[in-house]
Formats: sequence, C-alpha cells, structure tokens
Amino acid sequence: MWSRVRGWGGAAGGSCRLAARFLAGPASGREAAGAARQAGRPHSKIQKLFSTSSVLSTEKDESTPSKDSTTKVASKSQGSTAETPKQKLLDIIGDMKVEVSYRKKLQQLKAHENKKQATNKLEGPDSEGTMLQKAKEDIQRGKPLNPELVEAASAVASSLPLNKKQTESELLAQLRRHEETTDKQKKGGTINIRNVISEMSVKRQSPAERGVRISSRIFLESDEDGQRIRPGRVSPQSFDSRRSLKVGKRLNIFTKASTETEKALKTVSSPTIWDLEFAKEIAAITAQPPRNGFEEMIQWTKEGILWEFPIDNEAGMEDDAEFHEHIFLEKHLKDFPKQGPIRHFMELVICGLSKNPYLSIKQKIEHIEWFQKYFEEKKELLQEI
Amino acid sequence: MAASMLGWALQAARQVLPSACTRQVRSYYVDWRMLRDVKRRKLAYEYADQRLRINAIRKNTILPKELQEVADKEIAALPRDSCPVRIRNRCVLTSRPRGVRRRWRLSRIVFRHFADHAQMSGIQRAMW
Repeated sequence: MWSRVRGWGGAAGGSCRLAARFLAGPASGREAAGAARQAGRPHSKIQKLFSTSSVLSTEKDESTPSKDSTTKVASKSQGSTAETPKQKLLDIIGDMKVEVSYRKKLQQLKAHENKKQATNKLEGPDSEGTMLQKAKEDIQRGKPLNPELVEAASAVASSLPLNKKQTESELLAQLRRHEETTDKQKKGGTINIRNVISEMSVKRQSPAERGVRISSRIFLESDEDGQRIRPGRVSPQSFDSRRSLKVGKRLNIFTKASTETEKALKTVSSPTIWDLEFAKEIAAITAQPPRNGFEEMIQWTKEGILWEFPIDNEAGMEDDAEFHEHIFLEKHLKDFPKQGPIRHFMELVICGLSKNPYLSIKQKIEHIEWFQKYFEEKKELLQEI
Repeated sequence: MAASMLGWALQAARQVLPSACTRQVRSYYVDWRMLRDVKRRKLAYEYADQRLRINAIRKNTILPKELQEVADKEIAALPRDSCPVRIRNRCVLTSRPRGVRRRWRLSRIVFRHFADHAQMSGIQRAMW
C-alpha cells in the first residue's frame, strides 16, 4: 500500500534505512522478508530491537495512531528519501523537540516536500533497479551498529510518548546514516555536507522557531519599533531568512587566513643586536612613570607582580590535555612485564599519578619512563632473583 | 650617549648569546652559612624527583629486597646536600637559624622591629 517504488529510488543509503522505517508499523511479514533480503547484517539488529520494543511498548492504543502516522510517514518519506538523508534527521529532531502533534508535523513537511516530489517521481522508476545494488553496497559498506547504541536507541524510544517503534527505527536509521556519512567523509565526499547543513538550517526554522518567535514576540514588543505583525508575517520572515541563507551557500568554516600570516612571519629575519637595543631604547622612552595608582597597578599586572582579577585558578597552567589522558595511563605500561611484582608496583604508581592534579601529563610520562629506564638497567639483577 | 649605546649593546649581547662560560656569580648573602643553605636548596630542588622515585622503590613491600638494597646504595651515592633534610629555614634578613616565623621568613627580632614601625601589613600589637 505504501508505494515503496518511490521510496526506494533516490538517495543512496536510503533504502536500508527505509526498510527499517517501514517495519516500524505493524510489521507485515512480506515487508519483513523484503527487509531481510536487503539488509543482511542490520536486519538481525532490527529483529532484536523489535523483540525488545514489543516488550517495552505496552500500550496498544499507540498502535492505531501509529498506523495512521505511518501512512503519512510513508507518503512523506516518498519525497524525503529522494532528498539527502539528512532530511530525516531534521524530521526526527523536529519531532522530538517540538510538541506539535505528529500529524501536523507531517503535514507541514509534506507541504515543503511537495515541490521536490515532482522531480523525484521521474527518478523513482529509473533508480528502482539500482536500489538493490545500492542496498547491497550499503550492506557491504555499513558496519553493524554498536549494541550499546542500539540499546540506547531503544531506551530513548521507549521514553518518548509517541510511536515508540517508529522512533526507535528512525533513531537506528539515523545512527546508521551517521556512520555512513562518516565513511563518506573519510572517502572524501564533502559535497553533501554543505547541502546538508544549508538545508538543515533552512528547514529547522519553520517548525521549531515559530514557537520561539511567538514567545520572543512577547518580550521584544517594546524593543521593536512597534512593527510586530501577526503570524502572517512569520512566513515571509522565514522566507527572507531562508533566502538569505541560501544566497550565501558557501560555508566559510575553514578559512585560509593562516597561510598568509605564516608568510608574513618568515620575512622577518633574526633581530640583530642593534635592533634589539634600539627597541629597548624606544621602550625606555615611551614607558612613562605611572601617573596614578591605577596605572601603577596596570604596570604591575603586566610585569606579573599583581594577579589578574577575577582570579583564574589556572593562571600559568597550560595543560591542554583532556582528563582521560591524565587518568588512563595504562597505555604507558606497554613495555613492562605483565606479571610479577614490577607490574604490581607500576600499577600502584599509575594509580597514584592518576589522582595527582598537580603534575602535567608530560611530567607523569617522564615519571613512568624513569622507572622504565631504571628497571631496564637492573634487568640482570632482577633475572638473578 | 655612546657609552649608553654600548651598554645597551652589551646587555643585548648577553641575552642573544647563550652564556656558555660559567662566570663567578657575585651576590652578597648575609653570611656564608646562608650561602651554603642556598646551595643546599638548589641541589635539593634538582634532585627532588630522583630522590622521590628511588625512595618509592625503597619504601616498598612488593619489590624484592635485593632491588631495594641496590636502591639504598644509590640514594646514598647522591650528593649529600641534595637531601631536603639539610635545609634550615633561616631568617631572610639576618640569617638567624632559630626563632624564625615561617610565614614571614623573618626572625623574631626583625619581625618585631618591622611590626613596631608599622611596616608589617595586618600586624598589630596584641592586647586582650
């Protein structure tokens, strides 16, 4: 009944995810078999999930609204799968965050995607043949999800009020998509990200920010010129922002400014003695004695005599390392023997070091290496024993 | 003007060129005992890590005793002035070894002198 024909066509990787999606509803055996055919490894995960989800989702009333929603999900997903897979991410995030009813949400999204359905209708029948190939590719490429992630997904789905099975399957689909996109990134497929991000920001506005605007309107009424207009204004505003966002599609996240500064630094040669003393002379002349107490304190702060206020407890401490580098020091014990008193001793040493907040990581590593050297030197002695 | 320029140049030179030759450092401590105490403190700072680690091996019930005996000999072989026990908290101004308040690093006589002249922040003659 849900036209899977259209659903399968379009974005790569959508097929597997869709299978999961469709199975979310009252799982028909036919579809389950179909999914099993296509999704080899992930299918077992899905099965496991459904077994758990059936236990978790005790409410049977949910099944009837889920039926209705799945139809809309299907119709929505017709167009959505044809687009970038990140659309679904938006949908799901939107679902979870906004407290609008599920059906309204679908209707809204449908309205947005109606435009794109037309283009995808053409693609649908053509790519049906490639659907199976893509599915196979996905199976080969896709790594099986972490069982912990799967459990977490099921727990989250159970906590949410609506459509537990569906949200669960959607979450899993998302996770799989995440992994897929990371694989793509590794292989160098960065083009999708730009579209994705620009699309993401565009889509997010209308459902989520309407609520924000309504609430902000109350606060900002006095600040504005009094031109606060009814919700009719919201759509053109969102349209403007959409347009403005789409206009500047280049996401200049990574600028190339660093190369220029490097070149500038290279031109400066090592300062000669004359340059140094000239600089010192200038500094001596320009440094006038402080006119008042404030300037004196400023001078002292610059010199380092006076601390900076508000006092930061980490002044002078430049430990850029994360906490896990301080605590998990077992990797430094690779060269030690795995049994015996020395290992026992070193484990105690590491335990003490992990609790030490005063040493930097370099110092801790040096500590361990000193012991290593020491025991290396005493090897012959140790072997006698 | 030329002299000052030369002076600046020399200072700059001292900074630019790393001091390879160790010159005689002339600074005036109150007395020789204070100077020796300063040397002990420097050495103790240098050897602090090493002493800590060798002591960790010595004061142990896990490692074999032979290893601990070797560590004993090693720590005894370190310079005598490197142990922190030999440091004496002398008065900073008079080098008096006894009657020194740790917070101010001053002997009682100097402390009293400054406190009476109201040159010690937050110190007042006690009266109760």
